[in-house]
Parts: sequence; C-alpha cells; structure tokens
Amino acid sequence: MKKLYFIMAMLIVASMILTACGGAASEADCAKPEVFCVGLVTDVGKVNDKSFNQSAWEGVQKSQADGVADVVQFIETADAKDYAKNIATFGDAGYDVIVTVGFNLGEATFAAGAAYPNVKFIGVDQFQAWQFSEDTADDSANVTGLGFPEDNAGFLVGALAAMMSETHKLGAVCGTDVVPPVWRFGEGYKAGAAYADGMNGTTTEVFVVYHSDVGFDKTFTDPEWGAQTAKSMMDQGADAIFGCGGLTGNGAITAAAQAGKYAIGVDADQYLTLPEAAPRMLSSAMKLITPGVAELAAAAKDGSIVPGNFLGTAGYAPFHDLDGEVSAEIKAEMEKINAGLLDGSIKTGVSPVKP
Amino acid sequence: MPSEKQSNSRVNQILRSALDASLIPFLAIVTAVVLGGIIILSVGGNPLLAYSGMLEGSLGSKKALSETAVWASPYIFAGLAVALAFKGGLFNIGAEGQLAVGAVFSALIGYALPGWLGFEIPAFIHVTLAILIGMITGGIWAGIVGALKAYTGGHEVINTIMMNYIALNTTSFLLNGVMKDHSPTNASARTPLIAEGARLPVMFEGLRIHWGFVLALLVAFLIWWILNKTTLGFEIRTVGLNPDAAKYAGINVKRTIIITMMLSGMLAGLAGAIEVTGLNYRHELGFSIGYGYDAIAIALLGKSHPLGIVLASLLFAIMRNGATRMQFLTQLPVDLISMLQALILLFVAADAIVRYIYRIKAKGERVVLTRGWGG
Repeated sequence: MKKLYFIMAMLIVASMILTACGGAASEADCAKPEVFCVGLVTDVGKVNDKSFNQSAWEGVQKSQADGVADVVQFIETADAKDYAKNIATFGDAGYDVIVTVGFNLGEATFAAGAAYPNVKFIGVDQFQAWQFSEDTADDSANVTGLGFPEDNAGFLVGALAAMMSETHKLGAVCGTDVVPPVWRFGEGYKAGAAYADGMNGTTTEVFVVYHSDVGFDKTFTDPEWGAQTAKSMMDQGADAIFGCGGLTGNGAITAAAQAGKYAIGVDADQYLTLPEAAPRMLSSAMKLITPGVAELAAAAKDGSIVPGNFLGTAGYAPFHDLDGEVSAEIKAEMEKINAGLLDGSIKTGVSPVKP
Repeated sequence: MPSEKQSNSRVNQILRSALDASLIPFLAIVTAVVLGGIIILSVGGNPLLAYSGMLEGSLGSKKALSETAVWASPYIFAGLAVALAFKGGLFNIGAEGQLAVGAVFSALIGYALPGWLGFEIPAFIHVTLAILIGMITGGIWAGIVGALKAYTGGHEVINTIMMNYIALNTTSFLLNGVMKDHSPTNASARTPLIAEGARLPVMFEGLRIHWGFVLALLVAFLIWWILNKTTLGFEIRTVGLNPDAAKYAGINVKRTIIITMMLSGMLAGLAGAIEVTGLNYRHELGFSIGYGYDAIAIALLGKSHPLGIVLASLLFAIMRNGATRMQFLTQLPVDLISMLQALILLFVAADAIVRYIYRIKAKGERVVLTRGWGG
C-alpha cells in the first residue's frame, strides 16, 4: 500500500502544478519590438536530418551567433496537416522572422504571409511564382524564397571531376530534365568539365543521362536504374559519377563508390547522408542553405530584405576521406573557380530551363 | 415506486460498468504520463512545462480546440473501423489502406464529377456523393479481405497488410499519373482541388473545425446502436465471440464476416473522405499517413466501445495537436508524443502491469478482442 500512496501523492502534486503553471517563459519577449526572434518550421522531418532541415536550422543558429537574432526556436513538423498551425505558432508568439524549409511548405508559407503581414517569411527552396504573374505580382510583400544557382554547383563538381579523372571520362545520372533545377545541375556539370578542359588542355568526355523516360513517380525514386546507368558509364571508362536526382542519383553514387570510382553527391554534403558511399565521396554539389538563411535573416532585421526570389550561393562539399588524393594545385584551382563564379567572372552559360 | 428504483439501479449499473471498463485505460494513461515525465526529466526537459504546453496547445484557445477536433475527426472514424472489426473477431490492420482508397475516390468525385457530367452539381448532393463514394470504396476494399477470409480462410491480418501495400502504391501511381494536378506551378503528387460544392463547410468562420467532426460523433452513436440494438450487431458480436456457436445458432458466419469487414472498411473510407472534403480539399501523397495504425491503438485504448473510441481519439488528438506548442515551449522532440502513445498502449495491452502497480484485482472475464491466429 505504501507504494500506492506514494504514487497517488506524486500524481496529485503533479496535477496541481500542472494546473497552476500555464504561462510560458520565452513567449512574452518576442512580442516586444526590440527583441528579434527567428523561428523555423521544418518539413516533415527533423532538424538533424543532415540535409535541408539541418542546414536551415544551422543558418538560424548562425544568425543568433552573429548577434542578429536574440531568440531562435524550431518546430519539427510531424504531419503535413500541421504546416499552417506550426507557422501560426510562431506568428502568434510575435516572431519577427519565420523560416520554412522545403518546397512542400510553399503554399502554407504564402498563405501565412497574408495572415501575418508584419512577419518576414523565408522559404527555403520555395520558388515564388506569384512574382511573375500579373494578377498576383503585388500579393506578398513579406515572403522571400531562397533559391540556388544549381548550375554553379554542377559547374564546380564538373570541373573537379574533370581535373581528378584519369580516364578523362565522366558520368552524371540525374532525374528528369523537365525539372529545371535538375537540368541546371546536369548541364552545369558538363560546362564545368569543359571549363577544366579549356584550362588544362585536356579532352574530357561527359555522359549525362536524365531519367526522363519514366513518369514523375519513378524518376527520382529508381535507385536500381541509377546504379545500372552508372555501371554502364563506368564500363565505358567513366571514373567519376555525379548523382543528381533523389534516390535515383543515390543509387548511381553508391554504385560508383562500390566500384571504387569517385562518387559525387548533390544538394547537401552527402558524405554525411550516404554512409555506404562515404569512403569514395569526392565532393557534393551543394546548395549553401546555412549562409543563405543567415544572410536573409540579417537582411530582415535591417529592413533590406526584398520579397520574391532570392538567389543564394552554391558550393562544393569538403573532400573528407579523399582529401589526400586531391592535389594542392587542384584545391587552389577549385577555390579560384568558386571565386570566379561568385564574382561573376566565370559564367556557366546554362539556360535556366531546358530549351 | 419500484419502477423508478429499478431504473435507478440500472443507471447505477451502467455507470459502474463504465467506471470498471475505463479504470484500466485511465490508470494506463496516468502511468504513461508519469513515466513520460520521468523520461523528459532524464533528458533534461521540464515535464510540467511540456505537459502544460501540450494542454495549452490543444485546449487553451478556440483555435487550439478547433485543431484538436480536426485531428480527432479521422481518428474517430478509423478507430471505429478497427473496433467494429474487433467486435466481429477480426483484426483489421488495413484501415491505413482503406482510408487511402476512400480519400482518393472521394477526391476524384470531388474534382472530376462536374466535368464528367458537364454541369454543376448542387453543393449538398456533391459533397454527399463525394463522402459516400469514399465510404463505399473503402468498404469494397476491406470487403475483398472479408470474402477471402470467409471463403478461403485467408487470414485477414496478412491480407489487410498486403492490401495496404497495394492501396498505398496504387495511390502513389494515381497521384503521380492520371489524377495529378497538372497546373503549371505544381510539382507535387496530388490531385487538383475539389470543387467548392464538394467541400464540407467549416463550422465557424476562421477556424478549421468542420462538420465532419459532428458526423464522426453521430456515426459513433450509430455504430453503438447497430452493435447493441440490432440483429446485425448481435450477429457480429456473436461471431466475434464464438463463430462455432454462432453457426449452430443459425447465424450465417461467412456473410457476417464479409459484412463486418465491409462496415469496417466503410468507416475507414469515411476517415479518408472526411479528410479530403472537410480539411485538405484534395488528396496528396503523404497526407493522412499513419492514421490507420494509430486507429489500432485507439481501438485498444477505447476497449472497442464507441464512446471509448471517441474519448481515446480525443486524447490522441490532444497529444498530436498539443505537440506543436509543447515543442515550441520546451524544444523537446515530437517523438516524445509517439513514445507517450506507445507507453499508454503498452499499459493497456499489458494490463497486468497496471493491476500490479495499483493493486487492482481482476474482475469478471477479459474482453475478447480477437480470436487470434487460429480463428
């Protein structure tokens, strides 16, 4: 009986305190104008997913470290029906900036923009189509979509692969070229290899295959096809494979790594997300979400943020395990190319969509 | 007056049996909450802030209450689906797939029917049709499993799981293919928006709570009535308790099994149809995922009684909806909610643990949920 009394007592105390304490600690501050608060809503997923959600959250944390944001907070979405509610939780708490991560939150973010006109919204990877439609051009004065120059990212890894290749044959296995970012990755890769050729006087053959022969349901989710395509490229002598297109690309990357060739990832640093390919992961064509988010948050604070589409920067991931194989000259060359892309002295020449 | 006395004692009896039935689930919830609190403490969180945040986020305002009802609506339908099958001695693990089928067809009727007919359908008829078709297709989907069970003895657990895969992959195929929203700005696997006339109206302007919640409560009452006041309900329960005895009593067991599965599937299909017509106004890949599995937990926690299902659904809705606020205040991971649900379920299923902790003697016979593999 003693145990029962103990449990009962504990429950009573717990319920009493539960009912007594209602208010929240961090809530009141954000409504004050002098306290700058940045909230982040993930897509269905976690802030430690080693991909978009994590990079965006690191950007928010960076804005706190830089002294831009006083309070930062995230909400992980567990179900798509909570998008609007999760955004509203920050909006109602008086947050100044709300970052939403991923294409899927685009509509909810746009709707929240109208509901919370005083909040600045940053939509990571959310293309703001309203800007280009005459009917809606003035609709949203507080939503900024953070996009990326995928062609620059493809250009960087293309140049790197061309400099590293011994057979002077490269492959890229991508999702459908109907999706503009995929097209820009693939064509940027070609352009990068050609640029490296022009520099070093080499002739590199580049095979880029888009999985456009199937529907949207299959094009990004076909790792077997990706692996097969990568293998046939390697049979033809390719010794570096760039995978760009979800699971299809991952299949190609893994196949390349297993064959001992150079594997090149996409979007995030896939050394961290594809452990089975990590030992042979040369680099990844990256969208630099972290600095992009931090930059936009700072712009939101000083009022210089512009609604519509904001183009962030692209980059390439560290060489990790293969760092020893990349010569100092190539590393220096890569930095030069990256700087050239950033200041505009190097252009990829890739059209935004497939002509 | 003797008659009044009699009715008084009858009320007492009902109250007492309700108390008895809800004692173990209630203590299971309490135990899980305490244990969850200890776990929150052990990871450095504040359990009081977490729980008060959860309650505030789910019950603390009009908006919060509305969202809780929005969460509860599909849970009630899907929970009833699993519970009804339990009553008939069947374990319907396929609510997930039946829900998806219901959602897809409800959406199809919602966006495509006016085009097929060539004229606008009156709103009341259109929304009714969309919901009915979702319900019927869900029923057919589950009825297939019922027929397999009745005529071939194929076990419904295996078959409903298999049918889940077929349903979810077919849904993916349809949403990426013929049913895909082909507007130029869309890249997601989803249907176009359903027509205005096919939408369940919201109950209050500015809130998302819709009439599907009221419908869910009505259907819960209807299921209670069918199970306890009709011949069909008696047959379902008898087959559930002992099919051999039912057969000797002259009940057509095969027919009853099929009807039970169909009714179960219809309820799951309704869950999907309600989500489409009341909330999302379209079906999209990734919507309403996992509700069919949550429904099993709800049916168990609610002891397969319609009122129990409604209460268990509300509890799950409170936890799911309050999770946002809890997370916002404490930065504890949302997985905590799943863990709490699992703990509650664990204590409901293994009620011996609860009885041991609180020193409760087992009374009467155990509720038979399913007849297991040999059934």
